[in-house]
Amino acid sequence: MNVEELCYLSAGQLGQRIQSRELSPVEIVKAHLERIQSLEPRLNSFITLLSDPALAAAKEAEKEVQSNRYRGPLHGVPLGLKDLYYTRGIRTTSGTRVLEDVIPDFDGTVTSKLKEAGTILLGKLNLHPLAYGPTGENPDYGDMHNPWNTERITGGSSGGCGSAAASGQCTLTMGTDTGGSVRIPASLCGLVGLKPTYGRVSRYGLTTLAWSQDHCGPMVRTVEDGALVLNGIAGLDPYDPTSADVPVPDYSKALTGDIRGVRVGVPKEYFEVPIDLQVKEAVLKAIERLGELGAVVSEVSWPLFHDCMPIASTIQMSEAAACHSQLIREHGRRLWSPVRLRLEAGFFILATDFLQAQRARTLFCRQSLDLLRDIDLLAGPTLPVTAFRIGTSKITLGGKEVGVIALLTQYTRPFNLNGFPAITVPCGFSEEGLPIGLQLAGRPFDEETVLRAAYAYEQSTDWHLRRPPI
Amino acid sequence: MTKQICSSIARAKGLDRDPIHLEELHRYLESVLPGLKRVEELEFTDLEPTLPPRSREEGQR
Repeated sequence: MNVEELCYLSAGQLGQRIQSRELSPVEIVKAHLERIQSLEPRLNSFITLLSDPALAAAKEAEKEVQSNRYRGPLHGVPLGLKDLYYTRGIRTTSGTRVLEDVIPDFDGTVTSKLKEAGTILLGKLNLHPLAYGPTGENPDYGDMHNPWNTERITGGSSGGCGSAAASGQCTLTMGTDTGGSVRIPASLCGLVGLKPTYGRVSRYGLTTLAWSQDHCGPMVRTVEDGALVLNGIAGLDPYDPTSADVPVPDYSKALTGDIRGVRVGVPKEYFEVPIDLQVKEAVLKAIERLGELGAVVSEVSWPLFHDCMPIASTIQMSEAAACHSQLIREHGRRLWSPVRLRLEAGFFILATDFLQAQRARTLFCRQSLDLLRDIDLLAGPTLPVTAFRIGTSKITLGGKEVGVIALLTQYTRPFNLNGFPAITVPCGFSEEGLPIGLQLAGRPFDEETVLRAAYAYEQSTDWHLRRPPI
Repeated sequence: MTKQICSSIARAKGLDRDPIHLEELHRYLESVLPGLKRVEELEFTDLEPTLPPRSREEGQR
């Protein structure tokens, strides 16, 4: 097996071969480090590469496997963490030079759980500065580049996760998602990106952007890998008071491939906003496929979908400004201007405006729950476009000029506002060969149904088997 | 949001009041804040602020 083939094995496939000792974690990590070295000049996925520590960890994992101390399906599997997950003794920059000297003295909960599961950390992945942007551009550490076309954005903010997972530099990556930052780069890079229910995964030990909308989630190449990661990271955490005391099932058991009778609703409002026609066509075909697989598909109405942006943005901007108030005051001039302005704008939102938005959020959540009383899943596009050129700030779509932030978050943000689980899976490619994503979202803490439907769709197509021409 | 109000709030919040930066910030606020006003038009009488559901049961209430 050559380096590329090895690097494109999924965690599920690697796990079997590691357990059977057909493959050693050492050769797996060496192959990934070789791939990283060869592709990094074009992709810029990493801020910090941990070659030596990764090889040392791989040797340790090899010894453990050989002495029958196999930890489970993630043992020996290469991992990249978005560089805002705290890693003990390893710098955690949050994508900005202002924080380049931050070296945490503890591992965050997700970091430590994945370490305990036996994953091998290859490095800390590049991101939009402070996770506050959806394009994956970064003037401090360099822009991330999409492996499907290196002149195009990866999306963000978890852009390095997108480029690393899609190109085979990492098997598993962990991003974070406050307005779409897992699902946006996952969709643009042809990956599976899962944003679990708010509270399903601990947020302890990562750089916060907005407390009530931040989520941790995997960006991987298969739904099965997403389920395996979620198994490893979900659960109540005494260090995170917002983590939920809800039992963690074995999410991989949900991957039956059977979605007969699953009720799928497609909000009509999804197609009342700007959307590229190729994306629309691909997504509608994917939804039709769900019907062919036995799901019961119907059109639904979600009136408050159109009001999500002002509600979510008022809350996000206020929380982000409060969270980073000291940083802005002391180091504002060193922050990249687009991020700096977004942060400072939060100071101009009145407390009463914030509270009204929180009341509107109650309304939004109630309407979302009502919607999911008669259906099991919502289906639609993850994004209205495919990856555009790096440096683009506005796009003309349907005859209307739209800012890229609003455009890239129009379908993802509702599920940060209501906290419901949402996943993106590849559902096609544009004429230019750029990936298109299908988003499925479900009831709170019903990741099983979300994963089950995503898996059934994925296995009925070969989109997830395609590789970028890099 | 006049430039004067923008400058006053920036001073009160300890933000950088470099004139060029304030000019840029004011323009940004003018482009972003009006879009948030839509929240005021929604009807949420008797509703209290809340966070997302914390359990399956709460989520199904």
